[in-house]
Amino acid sequence: MQKVKQQTERVGEGVKFERIRRITGYLVGTTDRFNNAKKAEEKDRVKHSVAGA
Amino acid sequence: MGSAPQTILKRDGTAVPFDAEKIRLAMEKACLATPEEQVSAQALIDMTALVVARIQEGTTPSVEQVQDLVEQVLIEAGYGLTAKAYILYRAEHAKIRRSEEDLMNIYRELTYSYAQNADLKRENANIDADTAMGTMLKYGSEGAKYFVDQYVLPKDVAAGHINGDIHIHDKDFYMLTETCCQIDLMKLFKNGFSTGHGILREPNGIASYSALGCIALQANQNEMHGGQSIPTFDYAMAEGVAKSFRSLYRSALVAYFQIGFALDETDSEALADKVGQSIGWPSMSALDEYEGALSGVLAAYEPEQAKAAHEYASRTALKNVKRNTYQAMEALIHNLNTMNSRAGAQVPFSSVNYGTDTSPEGRLVIESLLLATEAGLGNGETAIFPVQIFKVKQGINYDPGDPNYDLFRLALRVSAKRLFPNFSFLDAPFNDAYYKPGDPDSEVAYMGCRTRVMGNVYDRSREVTSGRGNLSFTSINLPRLGLICRGDWDLFYRMLTERMELCFRQLLHRYSVQCTKRVRNYPFLMGQGIWLDSEKLGPDDTVGEVLKHGTLSVGFIGLAETLVAMTGSHHGQNEESQRRGLEIVSFMRRMTDEQSARTGLNFTLLATPAEGLSGRFVAIDRDRFGEIEGITDRAYYTNSFHVPVYYQIGAYKKIRTEAPYHALTNAGHISYVELDGDTSKNLEAFESIIRCMKEAGIGYGSVNHPVDRDPVCGYTGVIDDVCPRCGRREGEAIDVETLRALRRQYPNMPMFYGLE
Ligand SMILES: [Zn+2]
Repeated sequence: MQKVKQQTERVGEGVKFERIRRITGYLVGTTDRFNNAKKAEEKDRVKHSVAGA
Repeated sequence: MGSAPQTILKRDGTAVPFDAEKIRLAMEKACLATPEEQVSAQALIDMTALVVARIQEGTTPSVEQVQDLVEQVLIEAGYGLTAKAYILYRAEHAKIRRSEEDLMNIYRELTYSYAQNADLKRENANIDADTAMGTMLKYGSEGAKYFVDQYVLPKDVAAGHINGDIHIHDKDFYMLTETCCQIDLMKLFKNGFSTGHGILREPNGIASYSALGCIALQANQNEMHGGQSIPTFDYAMAEGVAKSFRSLYRSALVAYFQIGFALDETDSEALADKVGQSIGWPSMSALDEYEGALSGVLAAYEPEQAKAAHEYASRTALKNVKRNTYQAMEALIHNLNTMNSRAGAQVPFSSVNYGTDTSPEGRLVIESLLLATEAGLGNGETAIFPVQIFKVKQGINYDPGDPNYDLFRLALRVSAKRLFPNFSFLDAPFNDAYYKPGDPDSEVAYMGCRTRVMGNVYDRSREVTSGRGNLSFTSINLPRLGLICRGDWDLFYRMLTERMELCFRQLLHRYSVQCTKRVRNYPFLMGQGIWLDSEKLGPDDTVGEVLKHGTLSVGFIGLAETLVAMTGSHHGQNEESQRRGLEIVSFMRRMTDEQSARTGLNFTLLATPAEGLSGRFVAIDRDRFGEIEGITDRAYYTNSFHVPVYYQIGAYKKIRTEAPYHALTNAGHISYVELDGDTSKNLEAFESIIRCMKEAGIGYGSVNHPVDRDPVCGYTGVIDDVCPRCGRREGEAIDVETLRALRRQYPNMPMFYGLE
């Protein structure tokens, strides 16, 4: 951990969160590479309630 | 009834005077092309009048709309052949227009635009189309599609694809290979195998089993265009665990002889050899019996000494085999997420099925793979491959007291954190029909996002998973039929019959291309005997006969939009639409069954996941029919028989609505439930969903939930705007001291770059 002292005080600038999503059955780490239709489909999804039977 | 419109809209958007005579002439041309079907001059005049009458009063129709009406009227009047000729004539024109677009324009887009801006480059999200190899693949793929359209396909088939009536999947591979295969690793490993770059000997322990398993997936992926699957992963890897255990036991025994029996190394080895030759080495499930046998061989020593040797060797071997198996599964996941295939642009699309092996070796494999999946990759990232499928089976892992119930619980926990495994249900009647206790090959497996291959009309005695796969599949644009027929069910089923028959002809055409291939075209798949019965063929034999074990599948998308077009509501909204939906899908299934009986080939019905055609059909239909609420007003048509993703519905109701379609779609299906929040903190809800799927008769299902990760602090879970662990927002920097303090609190935090 010695090197730390010489490094910048702050880290993570520009680092995005990863958001894993399942699109047509496969997991993808970022939606950047989805085509437009798949992006739209992912955006439209609503959550399903588990209340009641 | 409308009167003739004043004008008609050409494709370029200009309005020209409407001329009914042009309609009659086009029909006449189609008649002339089909001398076997006589249409009288009067009939032509009557049908022309009918087309004109159907144009909505006061509107300016488009050329496309009028052509739809002509098709519809010809089919209604019973002139099927003429209708076909007319469609062909239409298609030829569409094709000429398209060739004007020029392949070179496509190449220009591929060359000069970034994937961010080019939809064409983002067809497959797992390929990085901005890399050199990714772009090279696209050049090849687009060139091949163009070639197939213009020079290979029968004209009406090409037309059907180009105008969006049907979609031929993986058309770029039309002249080359098949979709996928379920690989029997046990058979492959027996006596070793060759990948074309040297012979690999029969593996001798779990580490090499796992490594060779990856190599097999990779080698096969290079010869087929779809994903690759291992249908009985636990059983296959269990053999490797058993081998490892035996050799670990032997090593520990040798060590004990040296210390406990005070023998030197040579004598210890010699004594171990004697043990091995007399009674072999133990399996994990028969350690107690082995102790007695060992005492017999070591009769020269005190019984307590033999017992102590056995206890030490068992304990040590168990500890080490557990560690080795975990490492092997960790390596497998790592390999399958990093090893490249297809010219380096894509990792293999791999799937592994497991969950039913109740031997201690098989159980260890399942547990280790799940734990390694839960832990994630090197820095805790969620692994995106392999697709994992946990087989749920009553009496084996479903209920408390079942031998693998603990592993089912573990699978739920891991899936709630990592999205995998998915769950398949062997008790669903259509899967249970094939199940034979004690025969892993009779357990239905799923490949990737849904593919299922089980029934076999070509050879009823070989209704097995291993060595078989899908040959090709083609999907029908179901919503378009709804848009043309608008409530006329009679016409709908007539047109659906035509579309199905078009798909059958096209699939057979592709199969006839596949039949010309020889074993040497598939050095691994066929050369190493992975495909069923290929081991009986020589390198120059054609593969047509053995390919009959595979499936030819007709798929569909947009049942929901179809029902909206026909009835005004989709199957999630009311019972009547659900009844209609089941009627449509049953109709298609009946047709594939009949086609199978007629041909002796496995025609099956697929619930298409949309993939490449997500968006393509709807874009064409929006141009043609306009933007219609609930049908063409979104960027995509709904996946297969799914209730639309945007529709508010309870989880259990969604499952029960979709379940009956699983029984009908024998080429594959999946249902999803979307859960909110961090599901790993609500395992009961997660489990209740999976149990509901099983009870409802779902074949294959999974739960979607958000899985986010902050690469800076390593937090995995749900991140809205602010990371719950380190408090940073997306893109923000945090100070090193905060991170260091967090590391003391969470010792498993990955090292972030710049901080090693
Ligand atoms: Zn964080």
